[in-house]
Amino acid sequence: MRRRTRRFGFWLLLLAYGVASYWVFTRSTPVINERPVTIRFAHWQIERGPPDGVAAAIKRYEELNPRVKVEQLLVPGATIYPQWMRSNLAGGMGPDLMEWGMWMSGTKDIPARYFEPLTAELAQPNPYNRGTSQEKIPWEKTFHDQLLGPRRDSPDPGQIYAVTISETSVRLFCNIELLKTITGSVAAPKTYDDFRQILAKVQDYARRTGRLIYGLAGSRDNGLWVAENVFSGPLLGVTRELDDPGYLYLYDRNALAAYLEGRWNYHTPAVEAGMTLIQEMAKAMKPGFLQLLRNDAMLEFFRGEAVFIYTGTYDATTLRRMSTFKVVPMRLPSVTPDDPVVGRYVIGIGGEGSGETGVAIYLNRNSAHKAEALDFLRFLTSVPGNQLFTDNSGWLPSVNGVRVPDEIKNFREYQLGYTLGQAPFDIIGSEMNLVWNQNFYRLMGEHGSVGQFADALDQAMPVAIRKDLQNEMRNTLLLVRPQDSIIVATAELAAGPPADEAQSVRQHGMEAGQTMSEGLAFQMQLELEKTAGKK
Amino acid sequence: MLTAAASASPGLDQAWTALVNSRPKDVLRVLDHDRTSRPERLAWAVAQMSVQPATDDNMRSAESVFTELAGGDDEIAAEAAYLQARLYQLHYAQPDYAKAAELYQALAARRPESHWAQLGLVKLAMLKLYVLPDTTVAGADLLAPAEALLTQIHEPLLQRDLHLQIGQAGIELKQPLKRLLPHLVAADRVGGISGTAHEDLIVQIGVLSLRAGLPAQAKDYFERYLAEYPDNVRAWTIKRQLADAEQQLKAEDSR
Repeated sequence: MRRRTRRFGFWLLLLAYGVASYWVFTRSTPVINERPVTIRFAHWQIERGPPDGVAAAIKRYEELNPRVKVEQLLVPGATIYPQWMRSNLAGGMGPDLMEWGMWMSGTKDIPARYFEPLTAELAQPNPYNRGTSQEKIPWEKTFHDQLLGPRRDSPDPGQIYAVTISETSVRLFCNIELLKTITGSVAAPKTYDDFRQILAKVQDYARRTGRLIYGLAGSRDNGLWVAENVFSGPLLGVTRELDDPGYLYLYDRNALAAYLEGRWNYHTPAVEAGMTLIQEMAKAMKPGFLQLLRNDAMLEFFRGEAVFIYTGTYDATTLRRMSTFKVVPMRLPSVTPDDPVVGRYVIGIGGEGSGETGVAIYLNRNSAHKAEALDFLRFLTSVPGNQLFTDNSGWLPSVNGVRVPDEIKNFREYQLGYTLGQAPFDIIGSEMNLVWNQNFYRLMGEHGSVGQFADALDQAMPVAIRKDLQNEMRNTLLLVRPQDSIIVATAELAAGPPADEAQSVRQHGMEAGQTMSEGLAFQMQLELEKTAGKK
Repeated sequence: MLTAAASASPGLDQAWTALVNSRPKDVLRVLDHDRTSRPERLAWAVAQMSVQPATDDNMRSAESVFTELAGGDDEIAAEAAYLQARLYQLHYAQPDYAKAAELYQALAARRPESHWAQLGLVKLAMLKLYVLPDTTVAGADLLAPAEALLTQIHEPLLQRDLHLQIGQAGIELKQPLKRLLPHLVAADRVGGISGTAHEDLIVQIGVLSLRAGLPAQAKDYFERYLAEYPDNVRAWTIKRQLADAEQQLKAEDSR
């Protein structure tokens, strides 16, 4: 009897193995819960919060759409994501939806090559907003900033390529108990000079007590973020001078061309003033911070070895969940014309705008499931979808009509003021950024000086900046060339039969965008030719 | 008039759809051995100029088809002639702007009302603004050659695009503001510019009008910007500019 049972068990096992093998070799999909369509969504927001927020939205979406499965791919950002993204896209294996950022060096050509414009879809209401305050409003206008970033970062001036799912600002997060211990007060700095005084007190306290404490938690990332903020203040006047087109906004190509024309350099007094402020910030961080990453700064802060950490509100959930002490977000005050050190170079208070939305998600042009991917994007950026994201991530929403939880409400209190340039003069091109980083050490340490740093930059920048402007022009043409065949093909589809009005609108939109981009390429070419012999 | 679409077959529709989706290889695979009609030959040549890697050999094969098609008397001929000019302007490794200009001009002379000839005039005007200026006359007006072409363009959207380009070139070429501003205003009046280009244009007309001593026009555009983009990052600065415009207007009134 026992022997028969064993034999039966053996045959049952063998049968199960056979069925499993058959399934694996012929289907390669899960036995249960199979859905006809799987879309993949890749992003690098692996901090505490966003993966939970996206997962909650996916769960609800899959309930509403039983045909579709959405996979969330979390890929570490700073080091891996750009290479991972490029190799997957080039190999035709890119996910259906992907995050991309203008600041990712060496990837500026990606949207033009691989992403699909969403302009036409954005002009229509988002169906998932039915029954909400955003019903019947064009999708584009349901975003808190009407997609400022994707419109600005579009490779094609007439098109919008992405939608955003959150909104971030940058704040000083303070270990309030430590601040009180050192300064005797918990008051937030009201002026930039107040902040400077606090940093001096921290330095003095550390020297007196022998405790390892710095004003700012240090890392390369956090250092660059704070540098960008303080650098911008004195640059407002320079930017205004360079704004020939009258945009009240300086595009990288204009700043690069103006350098080649000799209209500014790193010895321009206001630029030197900006670098002086960067030096002050760097001195408040631990030596060697440039070798450290963002996580190192977080650990330094969690260990109670820094009073402040300057980071985006994207780290707020992590800070709140992992700190053993009370963390209070504060605004880093803008440098103003009455600042005792650099005030004479400052034309007015710098503004943070009214909240630019971020975490821009793009649709892969070669996606096998474009319609489904677009549909999920609509859900994620609808009032109910974005509410799920916000509630489960602790991040601000990007969409109007979403309730903001109390604990993050103050992230939306923005400093109003001049906003004339999107980027300080350290990140307006990838080549020039490399030169900046290679020489940054000249500003640091006991023997670091602004003059020495500026000398080194002005020695190397003409070549680097020329290359950056050439790259800008090349990237623009990269977009323009393939449009010829797409425009002609769209015109043919528009002509029918039957005539297709939507294709006709698309054709004329593309023609307008292509002409604008060609104009920009010509302008850059002219600038390069005009300044060819200059050093 | 025979357009490619007028004789459309399902296969041809698929070819155009593949080209819209940047899949020229699919088109070549189907049409490499069977392209008897003019529309099929056009689709094949368009695919040939788009396929990667882009080489001059590919462009030459495409050009020989465009040249043959351009000799006809239909819309395909105009399309082919336009694309031939584009090859010289943009697609060959070494651009030949003079040749491209010559081809745009010839197309406009032969079929002035065709959309492709009209679009070609926009491109021709840009060549004249930036890379083929009239150097025979000392102190020549840099915008005039493009403005002359504007009179030959009858499609409003293309007029708009050229107005915009003349205005932008005027800034780049440091022309007087009062000379270039009417072009920007004309582009805005036609409307339909989307995305950040629209927003930039409104700000630009306002700011340049203020600089040019046209505060009433500046005020109009600043007010329009604030109505359309109340929360935008530039709104705060524009409110200051609007105050400046109003002050200038008051000063004018009290004079």
